[in-house]
Amino acid sequence: MDIRHPFISNPKLTIAYGLFWILVSTVLVLIATLVNGVPLGNSVVETFTFLILYALIGAAIWYVIKFSTLEDNSILRVILAHLIAATIIVFIWMYIGVVVVKAFHPNARQWLDHTVLGRTVAGYIMYVGFVVFFYAVNYYYAFKEKSKNETHLKALVKEAELHALKSQINPHFLFNSLNSISSLTMTDPARAQEMVINLSQLMRYSLKHDQDEKVTFMRELENNKLYLSIEKVRFGKKLNPVFAIEEDCMKAEIPNMILQPLYENAIKYGVYEATETIDVITHCRLNGNMLEIVISNTYDKNVLSKKGEGIGLRNIRDRLQVIYGNPHLLRIEDNNNEFTVTLNIPQKQK
Amino acid sequence: MTEKLRTIIVEDEELARNLMKNFLSDIESIEIIAECENGFEGVKMINELKPDLVFLDIQMPKITGFEMLELLEHKPQIIFATAYDQYALKAFEYNAADYLLKPYSKDRLVEAVAKVEERIQTEGRESDVAEKVSDFPREGYLDRVVVKDRHKIHIAPVDAIRYIESMDDYVMIYTTEGRWMKQKTMKYFETSLNPNDFVRIHRSYIVKVNEISEIQQYEKESYVVILHDKTKLKVSKTGYKNLKDILNF
Repeated sequence: MDIRHPFISNPKLTIAYGLFWILVSTVLVLIATLVNGVPLGNSVVETFTFLILYALIGAAIWYVIKFSTLEDNSILRVILAHLIAATIIVFIWMYIGVVVVKAFHPNARQWLDHTVLGRTVAGYIMYVGFVVFFYAVNYYYAFKEKSKNETHLKALVKEAELHALKSQINPHFLFNSLNSISSLTMTDPARAQEMVINLSQLMRYSLKHDQDEKVTFMRELENNKLYLSIEKVRFGKKLNPVFAIEEDCMKAEIPNMILQPLYENAIKYGVYEATETIDVITHCRLNGNMLEIVISNTYDKNVLSKKGEGIGLRNIRDRLQVIYGNPHLLRIEDNNNEFTVTLNIPQKQK
Repeated sequence: MTEKLRTIIVEDEELARNLMKNFLSDIESIEIIAECENGFEGVKMINELKPDLVFLDIQMPKITGFEMLELLEHKPQIIFATAYDQYALKAFEYNAADYLLKPYSKDRLVEAVAKVEERIQTEGRESDVAEKVSDFPREGYLDRVVVKDRHKIHIAPVDAIRYIESMDDYVMIYTTEGRWMKQKTMKYFETSLNPNDFVRIHRSYIVKVNEISEIQQYEKESYVVILHDKTKLKVSKTGYKNLKDILNF
């Protein structure tokens, strides 16, 4: 949350605010002198003292609304906070006002006796006006922040799409898969055909410009099973995908294309470097309002493969952060021969 | 050619091996004498069977095709077969006969074998693969060194290297787990190891900076470096300057 005062972060707003109060004051002075026949000096002191003074002190009301928002506090507390703040502000305002008037107004005593009660009431009413104004500013800021987040999210989804595509045309995957197909056309044409179809389906899924960012877990899982089945053709018994999925997870919603980078990592760091069978295990269960997905793979700790740049994992973390506003939904554990990634995806309450 | 080319295939994927065998079965001059699933097996079989030609994948479990070449006592003709195009230059530096990009056609494979036959006619059966390799590594600093003593291949992470000593045409690599000989030059290691972690202190020594416990003067303008395990290594004048630069004293 940005608690900076909008008058500091937005100079245009400050200028508009200032001009507004000078304009109002000027109009009131003109009315007082021309219509009511008050001497010019008197009306200038009367009006400017109180209005401009209030405009200055009233700027502090921003902090009152920022620290007693309706989202975090009960209505009673918010009203109480405003009541106290209003009283303090009106008191300060009146006090300084009286001091200034006494110094410059020719017949201060008489004028003050007349107006002090009315001004106090006006002070409270103006307070309400300021609160409304600052709430509006606050909501405008929140709205702008939200749309900025959405733009960021769109960029991340695009990046994920691009990444998914790139990983399919990287030599690890596409060219080796095509080489496997080339081999199968001679020895096992039926399997070659199956692999071509799987590859096509997989590419169609990631090529599709799906604007809605969430899919059912079932759909995402099917897609990743395709991916794993293609890799399985290449790696044979070295790759052993195991799924332990509880039935009620299938309808859960998750951001699309969020799982594939995890399986890619499991293959790149686990299967690719191994000579033995590597289990790639997926556990999934609904944990209250959280869909918990755990993907783990063993790896040979003696092999020092080059550390990946981790773009895949970082991208997932960023997307979860933007969508759910929580940076702790992705957890990584590396205990020297097993790598585990845990995803927690919040679900809507039923 | 009357004599057949005795050939070994080193390739970790079964389907890729099948494809290659299938293509090669129609080439009269080829006789496949072994198939290997990983680099360790590859080194063992090549040194044992001394083939004329090896088909070699690059990205394999345990050690890469290039690391394998450094461990060969027998130097056959090499044809790389890989899905990566970015290693072509390196393969050329290793003096490989050809570089096949997967998926490749049968014609392309036949062409590669023809190149090998031509080479053997002009150069004889043994090639000089990996012998003329440039001292300057192309892609970043090393993160591991693959070494071999008699029967075992050992992968030493660069983090485990304590210091390196030159011994004529070889270097002795001292690691936390033991010491190994390797046929490489000091210049090679000086340029391939990260200069923030390793320093050349003498014509004969490269030391890991973190292993240094103290630097002692034993004569006017001569110094020795003392490692944490009390090993003493001589420091040359240039070496002393290098130490000064990296340790800021």
